[in-house]
Formats: sequence, C-alpha cells, structure tokens
Amino acid sequence: MATSLRLYLTCIRNTLEAAMCLQNFPCQEVERHNKPEVELKTSPELLLNPVVICRNEAEKCLIETSINSLRISLKVKQADELENILTKKFLRFLSMRAEAFQVLRRKPVQGYDISFLITNYHCEDMHKHKLIDFIVQFMEDIDKEISELKMSVNTRGRLVATEFLKQFV
Amino acid sequence: MACFQRESPALKEILLKLYNAEKTMEIDHHLYEFGSVEYHIQSSPSDPQYAYLSISTPLLSQGVMLSHGLSHFTIQMVKEICSDVVEIIEPTKEGYQLTLRLDFAKILNSKDSEKVISEISALQAVILSTQLKEMLLSVNTQDTYQGTYKPIKLVYHPREPFFVIRQPKKIMAVFPMRFKDKSDVIIATAFFQELMDVGNSKEWSKAPPCCWSPIPPPELTGEPFEDLSTNGGFVSFDISSRHVDDKRVDKTVWSLLNFHAYVKFHVKSTRGFIQRRMRKRLEGLVQVLPKSSSEEEEEEEEEEETKKVQGRRSRRKLVILPKSKILKRKCGYFSRKIKKIRSRIKIHGFWRFRKRWLKMPKFSSSRGYTKLE
Repeated sequence: MATSLRLYLTCIRNTLEAAMCLQNFPCQEVERHNKPEVELKTSPELLLNPVVICRNEAEKCLIETSINSLRISLKVKQADELENILTKKFLRFLSMRAEAFQVLRRKPVQGYDISFLITNYHCEDMHKHKLIDFIVQFMEDIDKEISELKMSVNTRGRLVATEFLKQFV
Repeated sequence: MACFQRESPALKEILLKLYNAEKTMEIDHHLYEFGSVEYHIQSSPSDPQYAYLSISTPLLSQGVMLSHGLSHFTIQMVKEICSDVVEIIEPTKEGYQLTLRLDFAKILNSKDSEKVISEISALQAVILSTQLKEMLLSVNTQDTYQGTYKPIKLVYHPREPFFVIRQPKKIMAVFPMRFKDKSDVIIATAFFQELMDVGNSKEWSKAPPCCWSPIPPPELTGEPFEDLSTNGGFVSFDISSRHVDDKRVDKTVWSLLNFHAYVKFHVKSTRGFIQRRMRKRLEGLVQVLPKSSSEEEEEEEEEEETKKVQGRRSRRKLVILPKSKILKRKCGYFSRKIKKIRSRIKIHGFWRFRKRWLKMPKFSSSRGYTKLE
C-alpha cells in the first residue's frame, strides 16, 4: 500500500472511531418517530461538526456525525475518462443494491461518489470496530477494483485490435 | 461473430448438407443474415442435378448515387468463383439481385468440396469487394486536387458512411465514428488508442498503419458538415499496394467494410464484461460485511448446547439403572407435576389440609410387601 494511502486510511479510521459514538435518540419534532438526525439536520444541537479528510484534490472523505447517526461520503480518484465511467458505473451498481450492504446509502451525497449511513441500530447489531474495518476495507477494494477493471478493458482492447490487424497480415 | 467471416456459416452448412446427401433432398430455405442479406436455397428431387441459390444484399453506394443492380465487372468476378460448378441464371428470381445454379456433380474430389462450397458461401463478400475494387479503379483522373484524388464517400451500413481517398502510393480509408452513448465513446476511444499502439509497433509493421484523431483529417476538407460531425473521432488506415495484392485484397476489403460493425461489437462485449465483473465483485464485497454480535452469541450458545447434549448422552450410556428405579423416578416426577398443578393458589394454613387429604397414595411399601392373612 502506498504511504499516502495508508496515512489517509489511518486518519479516516481514527476519525470514525471517535465519531462512532451513537445512541438511540427519538425525534424531537414528531412523536414516536426515530429518524437519523444527520439526514434531517433540523436540530443543530444534535449535530457535530463535519470533518473532511482530503488525500488530494480528487480524493476526499466527508464524515458527518449526529447523536444517533453517522454519514460517511467518499470521493474516489478518477484519473481519466475511462476511470470516470467505470467508477460511476460500479458505484451506481452497488448503490442500487444497497440493501445487501445494510449501511450503504442508495444515493450519494452531492459532490461525492458513494455514501454510507450508520445508525445506532447498526452499532447495536454489529461490532463498532468491525464496521470501521468494513468501511476502510471497502475503500481499498473499490480502488483496487477500478484499477483492475481499467486494466482488463485495455487488455481486451489490445487483444481485439491484434485480432483485427491479423487479417491484413 | 458470424458477420466477420467472409463465408456465411449457415449457407455453408446447408450446401455441405446438400452435397453430402445420398439422395436429392427437397430444400427450400430462406436465410436472413446480419446486414440485411437474404439467401434463398432450393433443391428438389424433380431436378436432382442442380441446386439454386439466390442472393439479395445491400450494395455499396457512393453517397448520393445509389447503385442499381450489379455491374458487369461484379458479374464477371462471380462467374470466376467456380466456373464449373456455378452458373448465373437470367432472369434472376423476383426480389433477388443474383440467382446461381449449382452443379455439385462437377466437383471432382471430395477434398475440394469444402473449398468450393466455402467460396460459394462467400458470395456476398465477393460482390461487395468487387464493387469497391471497381470504384477504386474507376476514379476519374480529373478529380484530383493538389496531387490527391477527391474522397469517395461509400455507404455500406445505413448512416455509417466512410471515405476512401486514393493517393499516389497508397489508399487511405477514413471512418467517422459515431456512438449513441457517452460511455460507448470512451470505451471505443480506449480501443482506438490500443489499435494505434499495436498498429504502429515494430511487430506489426506489415499491418496498415492506423491513426485516430478527434478532428477530421485534412484530406476530408470540403466534405459536407453532416458527414464530418462525430463524437467518436476519425479512424484512418493507410492501405498500401502490399495489402491489396491478389492474395490479400479480398480480406482487406472485407475487413474495411466491417470495421464499424467490429467496433460496435467490441464496445457491446466490453459493456457486458464490465457488468459481469461487477456482479462477481458484489458477491465478494457483501461477504466482508461484519456479523452482528447477537448472531455471534447465538452461534456460541448453539455450539455449547451441542457439546452438552453430546456429554449427557455419553453419561446416560455409561449408567444403567434397574427398571424399578426408573419407574419410581417417573412416578415421582408425575406426582410432583400434579401437586404443582393442584397447589397453584397458596392459602395460609392449607398445607395441613393438603398434607392429610391430598397426599398421593404410595403404590409400594417401604417394607417391601405385607403379607395378607
């Protein structure tokens, strides 16, 4: 793993460990409702300061915390147009199947590629450290998968081009 | 993909079946292939010597000028396919451009049969390539500008024209590429860049050099704007005399004619590949999900219970009790149950009453048995 990536992920991990202190908090405005306050943002006293962790101009992570929920938004690096469409396709594919991941948001926050929403219920059902491990592992896997996809597409293109030119030889 | 082969695989299969049949078969097949090509194959026992093949194919046209029927040069080239076996019939069948009469009896060796049938199956490729050759040969010398000939616009697939520019030492084929989707444009652009890299490498020096550019090449200056507006750029091949010698000219022409279809097929396959890969990766990512703590505790409890049950079973097997003791234990259990049911409501002082009147009779005496006298 590159040094800058390791530092970036370590920073995110430490921030999540500090931010993931969630508790059950019923909605103050509507009786018998329990909503993730980070999504509504109606009560400023229930929200903590959002944190943006930037690896570079293209890659960043936004962590927004509230009393009963936590939202993590990621912007994945996209070096060229091919990586751009591959990232969009892949993350949209995952977002459409968000129910399989439980903590994934169906629509990313504006300006970001993918978002997670973790509530106090998730923290009750799952181990906190494992949730954080999952998020960090997810980030590594996404980068790796996009790179592999790009390489596969270019390799396929090269093979097809070779086969086409063989006909002239 | 079948459309990239010169021979039509379906037509070849039917002709081989006809040739290898011991008796003359009744056949009346209509084949429809990619690119609006239609074949009609007929054979009947009443005319056992011959089979009839008709073809209808979109012809190569020069932009505005639509081609009407086959030229004399094309018919001449078709006759040369296998002059013994193939004979052109006039008039052609209604709805078709060419009708051939095939005489399989004139194929001398069974070894040559496959070769002959392959050549007949490549009829469409022969028609198109001869048309292109004819157009190139008939370029008017007056249509020159600064030493190069005027570009010839050719239309094979509808809305996908391409240009052929004849130059003193080479022929340049320019393909304006258009795609509907933005992601198709990007995948195709990546392919064109690989095509350029491979084509310009030392190992492939014999292949025609190819070039991709987002803007039209200078040779197309003066062409209509609608032909030059693209989103996929322009791919050009420099065809030298080496690629159009007698052995390779048919292959070269066929490859150029199907370049658009080849690229579109590659883009479609790549999209399918990306989709399959994403599905596979999704399964892997979902497995990483952390298990809930309650699920883990349940699993631990289940493991302990299975161990305990196993332990109890093994203890039971070791200790063997006599039947009387087993009966006593069962009775005692039963009587305790009844007592519990009966004594649900607790009343102060009731225990004396219960002790005297609600006692279960003993079925066995502590002294064994009393002898009745």
